Amino acid sequence: MTSSTKAQSAIKAGFSPKASGIGYDRPLFAGLLNAPALIAIFLLAGYPILNSAWISLHRYNLKRPQRFDFIGLENYASILESSEFWSSLWITVKFTLLVVTVVTLLGVAIALLLNQRFPGRSALRTLILLPWAIPPVVNGLMWQWIYDSKIGALNGLLVSLGVISEYRGWLSEPTSALLALAFADVWNVLPLAVILLLAALQKIPGELYEAARMDGAGGFQSFWFITFPWLAQTLLVVLILQTLSAIRAFDVIYVLTAGGPGTSTTTLTWKTYLTTFENLDFGLGNAYAYVVSLITLGFALVYFRVLYRRGDFET
Amino acid sequence: MSALFAFGGGTATDAREIRRTILLMLGGLAVAAYILAPFCWLLLTSFMHERDALTVPPQWIPKNPTFSNYMTFIDPAGTRAIVGSRAAEQTFPGMLNSFIAATGTAALNLLLGTMAGYALARFRFRGRGGLLGLYLGSRVLPGIALIVPLYLTIKNFGLLDHLSALIVTYVSFTLPFTIWLLKNYFQTIPRSLEEAAFMDGCSWLQMMWRVLLPAAFPGLVAAGMFAFMTAWSDYLFAVILTSTTAAKTLPVVVAGFATDVTTERTLMATSGVLAIVPPLVLAFLFQRLIVQGLTSGAVKD
Repeated sequence: MTSSTKAQSAIKAGFSPKASGIGYDRPLFAGLLNAPALIAIFLLAGYPILNSAWISLHRYNLKRPQRFDFIGLENYASILESSEFWSSLWITVKFTLLVVTVVTLLGVAIALLLNQRFPGRSALRTLILLPWAIPPVVNGLMWQWIYDSKIGALNGLLVSLGVISEYRGWLSEPTSALLALAFADVWNVLPLAVILLLAALQKIPGELYEAARMDGAGGFQSFWFITFPWLAQTLLVVLILQTLSAIRAFDVIYVLTAGGPGTSTTTLTWKTYLTTFENLDFGLGNAYAYVVSLITLGFALVYFRVLYRRGDFET
Repeated sequence: MSALFAFGGGTATDAREIRRTILLMLGGLAVAAYILAPFCWLLLTSFMHERDALTVPPQWIPKNPTFSNYMTFIDPAGTRAIVGSRAAEQTFPGMLNSFIAATGTAALNLLLGTMAGYALARFRFRGRGGLLGLYLGSRVLPGIALIVPLYLTIKNFGLLDHLSALIVTYVSFTLPFTIWLLKNYFQTIPRSLEEAAFMDGCSWLQMMWRVLLPAAFPGLVAAGMFAFMTAWSDYLFAVILTSTTAAKTLPVVVAGFATDVTTERTLMATSGVLAIVPPLVLAFLFQRLIVQGLTSGAVKD
């Protein structure tokens, strides 16, 4: 047995051979390598997480900063009792469902297209990244003008095509404002879904399709029996990422609708912002933030369970 | 639609093949229009005179194209900059700040992410799964939940309105994804490569530098780009943690523009375009590597 294969078999057995110069079971070195990341995350995520949990248990309003009274779960109770919470929860659900559904469907369709061979494909693969490079603030600004009731491009386009007869205030009606907001966000977040799905499509061995065609499978059959199963895990990842990012959408709301008209685009995240920075009610605001977090955590756990059960998620 | 699902094959006739290609190209054109139209509207507005930008129906192509909006940013003290000149003055410092913050975030991410990702990919140690869970779990809370305590923490360090505070904040938020991506990428690289380097007498650092990191280049580019984009795009933290041109980033400047009703629309469009160009150039430059990095790093077999 040569020393190289000896080393390899030793590594397979979980040993740390001197010859290889590295211990695959050296916990100290592993800890050392993880320390900087851990410190950064603890200082700027861990500590604030704990601190905001603590604040959420207090009556603490910056309008009366000297008062910091422990009130237990009272903030949470008042959130659950308020109709504002339930209405913003409902709006969050509608917004998230809309964004996630459209992004997933469009994402799959575009990824499938980009996986085919046709002239201009590589240019399109590059072009698809464009919205990704646009900061949400700029994205909001851009769509604000597109939707503008007096001089907007959408009105101009639809009127000249004869779809609508006169200019409309897309952002001033509750239903169209939520739709407009969702579509502006979809445009911004679509590239990530497309490149993840495209990456997954590229991993599917071409022979599978060959074999399927030999067996006489049609286009739809080979999609359903080959493409879809291979795509399933990435689809779940896309669903997770998009759900979390839709629930957290903030910048685009800030620029585009500011939660309005009325409260028709006031999602939970926007409600958290209003409570914290408009009303300066830090206690209640942090409680709101925790409710949002619990909802996202719930989603994340459900998704991870599905991934685990499928055996796709390994550490 | 079925053209999307099927693969081209030798049995198909030429006519079918041509029809398929045309269908695919039409689909491609539709996607290109959807992606380009909103951006082009912004871009074209930035070359218009304010008067032309306010017409009904809108001018799709500027009748009297002008560079004056861009000149306003290049020379804010110039003649045209009565409206919104303060924001115009802040744009280039903001751009520089954004660039430093985003580059710093990406660099630190790669350094810390490589270390942690390597350890998670290669070593077996107690609490490995827990550590990974901890990293991913730290991203469950939305930024808005952390902003108040974060503000207080950074104030205590005396780092308000410092780019370093922004960088560290962005690092802590982007690091979990970087670690996860790099860990997955490192796991696709055969250990025998490392073993061979050690056999040749490389130290761990030499092995990383000469063998593993070059092999993981697409993963590193993808992770670095994600961190860069996150930092470049952020508004929420930048607006709370910075206040002057010493550290104000571009989204804060642009948002200041956007919420000021007196600002000219064409100037706003121009600042928007300026905010997009640097990340766009990077994204287009590294497109192939990003997809390649994600293919191995984020999408598993």
